[in-house]
Amino acid sequence: MTYLIITGLLCGALLGFVMQRGRFCLTGGFRDMYIAKDNRMFYALLVAIAVQSVGVFLLIDLGVFEYSAGSLPILSVIIGSFIFGIGIILAGGCATGTWYRAGEGLIGSWIALAGYMLMSTMMRTGVFGPFNQQMQQSTVLPKNSIAETFGINHWFIIIPFVLIVAFIVYKQLTKPKVAIPSLKPKRTGLAHILFEKRWNPFVTATLIGIIAFIAWPLSAATGRVFGLGITTPSANILQYLTTGDEGFLNWGVFLVLGIFAGSFIAAKASKEFRFRMPDVKTGINSFIGGNLMGVGASLAGGCSIGNGLVMTAMMTWQGWVGLVFMILGTWTASYFVFVRPRQKAMAAKLKEQVTPA
Amino acid sequence: MQKKLEVKGMVCPFPLIEAQQAIEEINSGDELIVEFDCTQGTESIPRWAAEAGHTVTNFEQIDEAAWSISIQKK
Repeated sequence: MTYLIITGLLCGALLGFVMQRGRFCLTGGFRDMYIAKDNRMFYALLVAIAVQSVGVFLLIDLGVFEYSAGSLPILSVIIGSFIFGIGIILAGGCATGTWYRAGEGLIGSWIALAGYMLMSTMMRTGVFGPFNQQMQQSTVLPKNSIAETFGINHWFIIIPFVLIVAFIVYKQLTKPKVAIPSLKPKRTGLAHILFEKRWNPFVTATLIGIIAFIAWPLSAATGRVFGLGITTPSANILQYLTTGDEGFLNWGVFLVLGIFAGSFIAAKASKEFRFRMPDVKTGINSFIGGNLMGVGASLAGGCSIGNGLVMTAMMTWQGWVGLVFMILGTWTASYFVFVRPRQKAMAAKLKEQVTPA
Repeated sequence: MQKKLEVKGMVCPFPLIEAQQAIEEINSGDELIVEFDCTQGTESIPRWAAEAGHTVTNFEQIDEAAWSISIQKK
């Protein structure tokens, strides 16, 4: 139990720290692919996937632990991921994003987190449990692993993927850059790098890939053979709190609590922590978004981390199909939340100019 | 001429969207001062300003988790 608490908290704290300082926001990344035509954060995610994938499959080949991706409830993954994508736009952050923003003191993220934990629990051991079960059992494809589907060794997929990612990173790094104004440094040395400096997204992504990789052996040692995961542990917290059953306490629970703690430490040390109350509209959106996240991630069998970062690295259909539909969900919601209101405002202004009062 | 935009309490990407709209309403050479408290804005707002070709004349942290950025329209 002590091992579980310590390694879980440590791994989570590292992740929370890196995400807070690196401004690693997948929701913002997916959204900006559409509203700002900016793929930087998506490429950063690919880097994190590649790093983790190589590491974890090396460990599997070395026999450190065994992993089988199992079967694929394709319909549930597609619908769930799409709903999750809509939810994270409304909540203003994905599951991990919500945990680490809660650590920055954003009350809106606390609200989103409450809805997310509640709905994830209801989808497991609550009233929606049977519905979720039914969804998981409808339209199931036998193979989840992409390599197994094609009957090839997994390295035939990982190596080409790593090469493509390396090429994208090379193209991005050699692109002519605009000098981006930064805050005047007030600190020096390590304190400057840790608590002040802007982190390059690819450096952040590499660190996240390494943490996601380390999570596997740490978690496997406690009997939980999986990497980073947010949704199930978030539900487990509420299940433990309401039933008192210690069976719900696992490595993942301490991981997510660690994310919260790590982000709080990073934010506090960087003078970026303050309790911030959202306005009514943001608060309501956060709550609705949190609930949709809980439903979506439960149906899809993972959030932007579980499916988007981990199952993708495991080269599964669940990961990649989930990622695609999650992104489509964020784009759909972005259209209604950001794009359409702006178009309407512009049209109204134009009308004003054409017909002077 | 200076215009002040107070977007504290707004979460990303709204501070950026508000700034993008506000800069449309000022004249070239005028300054837009944005006060925000969304952490991710410390990355997205200066990056947008630089990439759009505006000049950032000041960028500072004014309080715990609160920043001010002055953008001169190109």
